[in-house]
Formats: sequence, C-alpha cells, structure tokens
Amino acid sequence: MQAIAAAPAVPALVTPALVTQQNMQAQTAPARPAGPLASGKRDAVGEPVARFFSATQLAALHRLCELLMPPMGGNPGAIDAGVPEFLDFHVGQSPADRQQMYRSGLELLNSRSAAKFGKAFAALDATQADAIIRPLLVLVPWQFELPKEPGARFMAAAHDDIRVATRNSREWTQAAIAAGRRPVGAQLYFFPVDPVYKG
Amino acid sequence: MPKQEFDVLIVGSGHSGGMAAQVLTQKGISCLMLDAGPEVNLATNRVSKNPWELPYRGMNKPGRLPHVVQANEFNANQWVDEKEIPYTHDPASPYNWVRVRLVGGRSLFWGRQSFRMSDWEFKSLDKEGVGDNWPISHADLDPFYSKVEGIFRVSGRKEGKAHFPDGNFLDADYGPDSTTVKKITEIAQGRGYLVSKIRASNGRNGQASSVNLLLPEAMATGKLQIVPNAIVRELTVDKNTGKVNGANFLDRHSKQELHVKARVVVLAAGSLESVRLLMNSGLANSSGMLGRYIIDQLYGVQVVASVPEARGGSAAEGLMGGTALLPRFRNLQKGEKNNFSKGYGMMIASGGAAQPGFFADYGESLQKKLDFHSGACMTASIYGERLPRFENHVRINKLVKDAWGIPVLHAEVKDSANEHNMAKDAADTAEDMLKAAGWDILSKTDKFHPPGYSIHEVGGARMGDDPKKSVLNKWNQSHDVKNLFQVDGGCFVTCGWQNTTLTMMALAMRSAEYLAEQMKTGVI
Repeated sequence: MQAIAAAPAVPALVTPALVTQQNMQAQTAPARPAGPLASGKRDAVGEPVARFFSATQLAALHRLCELLMPPMGGNPGAIDAGVPEFLDFHVGQSPADRQQMYRSGLELLNSRSAAKFGKAFAALDATQADAIIRPLLVLVPWQFELPKEPGARFMAAAHDDIRVATRNSREWTQAAIAAGRRPVGAQLYFFPVDPVYKG
Repeated sequence: MPKQEFDVLIVGSGHSGGMAAQVLTQKGISCLMLDAGPEVNLATNRVSKNPWELPYRGMNKPGRLPHVVQANEFNANQWVDEKEIPYTHDPASPYNWVRVRLVGGRSLFWGRQSFRMSDWEFKSLDKEGVGDNWPISHADLDPFYSKVEGIFRVSGRKEGKAHFPDGNFLDADYGPDSTTVKKITEIAQGRGYLVSKIRASNGRNGQASSVNLLLPEAMATGKLQIVPNAIVRELTVDKNTGKVNGANFLDRHSKQELHVKARVVVLAAGSLESVRLLMNSGLANSSGMLGRYIIDQLYGVQVVASVPEARGGSAAEGLMGGTALLPRFRNLQKGEKNNFSKGYGMMIASGGAAQPGFFADYGESLQKKLDFHSGACMTASIYGERLPRFENHVRINKLVKDAWGIPVLHAEVKDSANEHNMAKDAADTAEDMLKAAGWDILSKTDKFHPPGYSIHEVGGARMGDDPKKSVLNKWNQSHDVKNLFQVDGGCFVTCGWQNTTLTMMALAMRSAEYLAEQMKTGVI
C-alpha cells in the first residue's frame, strides 16, 4: 500500500506543451458523425466450426436436417441455415443427459442404417432414410414431456430443435424480407439488470 | 450515529408490498421498503432483437433455468438465477419455483387475469367438506376487491353468479363472438356450465404493476423510502418484548450486512420467500404450520380440435377468433358425484395453429398438414385447483446456501390422485364438447406441469382463527408476534382455480388498513 501511495503520479499522455500545430489541426477537424463501430454480424462473417459430434455423427445429423426440414415455400432449409453446425455447438454446451441423448440417437440412426441397408445414415436415399425415421416418429401431444423410449425421445427432440433453429436463423429472416414477408420471431430482449458487482 | 426507526419495514415491492406501502403511507405512516433486487426501467432495459442475434439463436443457454419453463433466451435475465439462489427438491418430485428479484417483483410481468375468489374457495369446508375454511368470506373482502379493481382498472362482464363473483368492472368490449365461440358456448351452456369472458387488469400506459400503480402514489406522500439490492437475511427481535424490531440485510453487491430498525414488519416477499425468511429467523411457528399446505394451480391439460370449415385458409369471416371462459363448473351442486374434489376453469380459444408434435410426420408432408390446420384450431386449456395438504411443505435446507450465505428452501410438494383425476376429467370433458361441435380432435393430453409452474404458489403461512392450526390471523397478522404481518400469498388456505393476484392485493389492502388503525390507536 505504501509503495503505491509513494509512486509518482502518472503524467497525462498529452500535455498542452506537446500539442503541435499538426495535431492542433487534427483536433479542430470536423468530427465524423458518430455511429456504431461494431457493425458486423457473427453469422454473416464466420463459418461455424463443429467440435462436439464425431464425423459420422455429424454426417448423420446433416442428413437428418436435410430430410426433416428441407427448403420449403421460399424459406431456407436447415442446411441453408447452418443448423447441423449450430446444434453441434448447442448440444456441446448442454447438460450431459442431452449430449448423451443426441450422441446415442445419431448412433442409432447409423446402426439401424447399417443393419438394414449396409451403409451409414448419411448415405441413404430419401426412401431408405424414411424407413429409418418413420419408426422413431411418435405423436407428442404435450410438448413439455418427450417420449420415454430413447430412440423416439431423440427424434422428437431433434425434430423440434431442427425446426426451431432453422426458423430462428438469420437466413430465414433474410428470405422473409426478400419475399416481402414480415419476419417473425423478433421479441423484446431483456438485458441483465445491474449485474452483481465482481470487483 | 443512531439511524432512523421506521414505523413499518416492508420486505418486497411487488403487488402485495406495493399495496401495503400505498395504504400505510397515505395514512401518514413512515415506511421503509427493502427489495432484494435492483430497480429496472422497462423502457430502456429491453430492446427488440431477432433470435439469430442472440448467442444461442433464441434457444437459450442449455441448462440455465431448468425449473423455469416460461424462460427463453429473450427473457432469461428477468428471472432469478437458480445457481445464485438455488432451492432443492427430490428429483422424483420436481417443484418449479419461478421467481423475480427486481423492484416491482413479478408484478412487472404478470398475465393480468383478475378474478375474485368466491365462498366456494373461502368456505371450502362448509360448502364441499374439503380442506379448511378461511377465517374470512367473500363479503369481508368485497369492499377491498372493489377498491383494487378500481386502481387496476379491471374490465369484465358481470354474470351474477355467486361462484364467479362480479366486481367493480370497467365495461369490456369483447366484440361479437365468432361463430365457433358461439357454438362452443351453446354446447357448454346446454350442459349447465356458465360461459363468460376473461377479466383483466388494464392498468395504465400498458402496465399494471406495483411500480406504476402503487409505489408512485406511496412515494408522493413523502413517507416511503425504497432501498433496492437489500437482501434480508433475518428479522431481529427485542429480547424483552419478543416483538420484531427490524431486520438484518445484506447489500446485494458488497454483501455488507446492515441493520434497520422498525416498529412493525410487513413481509411481502412472495409466499415462499417470506416463509423462508421467517424460518431463517426462527419466528412465527408455534403452530408448526409454517411452510405447510403449499398450493398452486394445475396447468398443462390441453385438447386441440380442428374446425373443418376453417381448414386450408378457407375460414369465412367471423368463423374463427376470440375466446370463451368457463369458470369452475364441477362440484358446485350438492350431490354431484365426481372422483375428485374442487374443480377447474377452462379457456377455449378459437383460431390457433396445430403443433408439429400433433403429427408423426416430417418435411414437406408435415408442413402441408401444419398449413392446412393453421388458424383452424380450437384449443381448450384449464386452470385446476390443487388441494391443500399438510404434507406438501417447504423447509430450510441448511446444507445449501445461496450466494449470500443464506440457507435455502427444500420443497416437498406432490400431486395426489385428486389432481390426476381432475386433469383426466378436464381433458375428457373438453374433448367431448369439441367433438359435440363437430370438430376433429388433433391432440389431447391430460398431463400437467409439476407444482409451482403456474407461478401462483400460495400457502405456507395459512391464516386461521386457531393459533394452533394457523400461522396468521384473519388480518394477516402473526399469531405469535403481534407486530409482524405477512401480506403476500402465504396466508391462502385454498388456492381456487382463479389467478391469485387480485385476491392477494385485496388481502394486503385489508391488512394494511387494519394495521394502520391498530397503530393509530396505539394497540401496536
């Protein structure tokens, strides 16, 4: 504490004596209009890097996205919206039970595909894939409780996630604007209020 | 330097605390209000965003608020952080405690449905032989309901029915009923059910909260100070008299502990938070009833039907739209036989959309079905009354503390066969009525959310005339500590099917008027 108290005061970086004619002019130049500096958008400039799923799991998820949420009615599909890579990130951030549900579910698609058609789910044509998907699709009358059977549980959760992640994407909004439709999904975001002081 | 001693310390600033503050300050009583959260400006603290502009594409940070089903990535910051202020429960018996810690509390975000409770709730034991009677009746609360309805500008349609009491309503313009609402109304009335409309607080300038309708009036008296970010750890007691004399509170940011002095303490922190504070203070529990009889309402049962004439976007003008409200209709008649007690209200909304989970399909085929039924759906949902039961309780879990070192609550609240039978009856009844209208059922579920989900949790400090069976008397005053009041929902003896806020505010107003009179005459 004493050392800090005894230290000489740090001089101001620019003192009147150091002001030259040149920087005087710079200081008196008309200011540019103030505006936001951070104008770029994350999703517009960067490609997501998948890190959570294995290559075969991600390939299966990719194929599932293509089939469950294809481009429809002028709207982008899940692939256009980068949903497989987004879910790789989102599931990778999730509690262990959700991670396990996804990994097991994607492995189930691959194992059933191998048993039935001798190849991975990602390599199936639409008719073959339908034979794998249909038995896992069940009615979900109450959205707050997923089916108990693990395969059906995965399919219900993934189906919902894929649909929501597609509709919530920047690409979906852009397509709506381009088609002259009102974009949906915007809401009031509530900022953190006076977060706890961390020192 | 000795600090000021306030006449009344009010803990909590939501609808109940705000009402108490308004009544007391307008009678010249100096009040200090402590709220655990910061003040918020809803005009500047919210901004419209697209979901893709949020870090998790609007799908929320996984695992952030596991008990708040209502939370999404847009509103996540308005709810209490469960990691910062946890509570515990047996994983097999989930309890959803949904909290807000901001000045104004949950009054900032409530749904505004504003129904009176009736003597079927206040005199449950007398009328139905179920639960206990409150020590008050609707007649006792009627003048206070009227005043609250005036302040909150409640609109509604009068029906003249004792089980759905009318109030001091603004005229509501519900517009003409659509053809589908008329049809379901005829079917319900044909079965002897009352069909009415939503009663709602209009408030002013788009808000019906404590911060715009109650606290400004109190502040205008010059008799109220509000201190935000003040987390009350415990109430303090005068060892000579046994009365409360103030509270110790912690600054939310620094965690510095301070003491404030008051002649009277009024708790309005929310039913369970007030109970937690009393338990952590070791007060008001000579009856052993503190924390017992936790109740809330049963939500989640839903039946959806599709109207053939409205499918594929073919609905004629006036066919779809609007709602019908069926106030409780079960177990109102003597001799009525059901396999459950009490009852439920039902809302039937016309013009909704089908959900993907209603169809075991995907891709374009699924989308065609969703488009086909879009706007053609009739959705029935319920507000069910849970029974008050002694074993449903909260207690202090000394092994777990919040971020300020205060022991948390453990919730042990379970549903019984009564709730499950009620939910099944509601789903069957809704299905039967929708089918009778000639509509096709798309989805039916009698499942419902865990206790707490409705955000109408009440009880835990029930009122009663017998100090051995209740925590508070009929004035919301502690039987044990005469200068201690709890004016939030903790006092409820039954919860009814109705949204609880209007009743809480009427009770808070009544209690505060009583307290003011007692202070004026020197009894307190």
